[in-house]
Amino acid sequence: MDAQLRTLDTAEATTHYEKSKPGGSGSLWRMSAIARNAFREAVRDRVLYNLVLFVLLLTAASIFIGELSGGQERKVIVDLGLSAMLLFGMFIAIFVGVGLVYKEIERRTIYAVFSKPVGRGEFLVGKYLGLCLTLLVNVLVMGVGVSVALLYISRGWDPLIPTIWPAVLLIYLELMLLTAVALLFSSFSSPALSALLTFLLFVIGHFSADLKALAASMGSTGARWFFTGLYYLLPNLSNYSFITPAAHGRTPDPGFVFVTALYALVYIAVILAAATLIFSRRNFK
Amino acid sequence: MNNERLKSITLGLVILVGMASAALLVRWTDKLRPPVDPNAIDESLYLNDKTARRVSLGFNGLAADWYWMRSLQYVGKKLINSTGDISLEDLSGLNIKLLAPLLDTATTLDPEFIEPYEYAAVVLPAIDVQQAIRLAEKGINANPNAWRLYHHLGYIYWRQGQYQLASETYGRGAQVPGAPAWMEAMKARLLSEGGSRSTAREIYTRMHEQSGDDQVKQMASKHLQRLDSLDQRDGLRKLFAAYQARTGKCPESWRELGQIFRTLGIPMDQSGAPLDPSGAPYLLKAGACEVELDPKATKVPLK
Repeated sequence: MDAQLRTLDTAEATTHYEKSKPGGSGSLWRMSAIARNAFREAVRDRVLYNLVLFVLLLTAASIFIGELSGGQERKVIVDLGLSAMLLFGMFIAIFVGVGLVYKEIERRTIYAVFSKPVGRGEFLVGKYLGLCLTLLVNVLVMGVGVSVALLYISRGWDPLIPTIWPAVLLIYLELMLLTAVALLFSSFSSPALSALLTFLLFVIGHFSADLKALAASMGSTGARWFFTGLYYLLPNLSNYSFITPAAHGRTPDPGFVFVTALYALVYIAVILAAATLIFSRRNFK
Repeated sequence: MNNERLKSITLGLVILVGMASAALLVRWTDKLRPPVDPNAIDESLYLNDKTARRVSLGFNGLAADWYWMRSLQYVGKKLINSTGDISLEDLSGLNIKLLAPLLDTATTLDPEFIEPYEYAAVVLPAIDVQQAIRLAEKGINANPNAWRLYHHLGYIYWRQGQYQLASETYGRGAQVPGAPAWMEAMKARLLSEGGSRSTAREIYTRMHEQSGDDQVKQMASKHLQRLDSLDQRDGLRKLFAAYQARTGKCPESWRELGQIFRTLGIPMDQSGAPLDPSGAPYLLKAGACEVELDPKATKVPLK
């Protein structure tokens, strides 16, 4: 029964939406129906179970790290908590992200979806937003977890608590970017290859400063142009790494957060547009 | 009992017996392995500092914590395996040659991480003073507003007897916004009386106040105890001199000075011996007007 429900979810959701929608032609409504369904599917697939592991990790760290860190338990908890948030989020973004479209094709439920008045772009964006919602819940709960661990270690209010949240926001933006990349790859490739490519892009994205330096050190103009092009083409993920400064109680400049958020939104829009372009030309027969 | 159940029980038993046997075999092989000198075993760096920073992606803070904790475990393990009373400031006999690169990697991964610089300033001078200075300078370059780092660098120079350099370093630190007023006072004191006991007391008092590391605090506290003990022994020698001037001889036992100790409020044990800062009784060299720490009872560092 559960398997049947799973395979019919997206199609049912869109049908249900068609029956209940107030207007009749709202693209946003259709995308939100697919997003809500993708979120429900992620919850049902026990994606949020990683939170249990996270809580166990933080609890163990809060208790034992004091003995190992030479009085640096607050810094270690923030580093560990936020790094785990990024790592777990990255795995969810990659492994759930690459399966978002593939599963629908594999189970052939995509035919049921597209038999309704749902555009391919709407389907992709809806799926994307659904996973972003899952990641948002994940990141928020983890942020609260780190704050509680800090409260426990400091036996009361800790000044690091408010400083971690801008870093949490930047992590979330990075995960949104990564999810879009995973979705793009999965729109034309197999899940295994998509996961590999997304992971590689995550790694390269953190080496963007090296790409720029490499470009500057190149002798030939062609090579310099090539690496400079790569630097601007690939997502600059190192801008979203604010974990280490957050552990020292530093917060990013609001202007910096604004620009990086804008960059993420623009980049996501570009990737989703590319994914839609590829996906809309795909033949499911 | 049906077949299925029997199969489950058999498999369960195989797992239990197998695991127990495996554990026993491991113990056996441990016994067969030739014993090794724990101090001869050395950790190895996984990566050099620059590579570690590159490959840490967004996790450099966590990687720095890892290297920091490895540094502490590295020294801790050597200390546990060592014999005798070893001071944190002189671990030269422990073969901790990897400490400098470990701390270097931790601070390359997270240049704002102050504690490894402090640890390096305390522990490294006895092993490799140039590395200690280099790490402190590296910390200052990465955190020019952290006045504590100037304090650590000044401390390294002071330990080397380079009072002029120590004074200049404290002077530089005093210019940092938010630096405490005693940094400026230290600058003057190091110039005028660099090697004095009062300077040492001031340095260790500040170190005890400022450090977040329990080991460093403990080390500073031991030094303060030693300085207190030196002052106390000087005071006792003055009392001996006064006693000798009055009676023409040195005291043969502490009881002869009991009245003076009671008047001055000096804490004593039941035999009338005055107590050192760790609570152990001082030893009197009978007839020699000399006093010393009891090496068997005291917790005050002897040197």
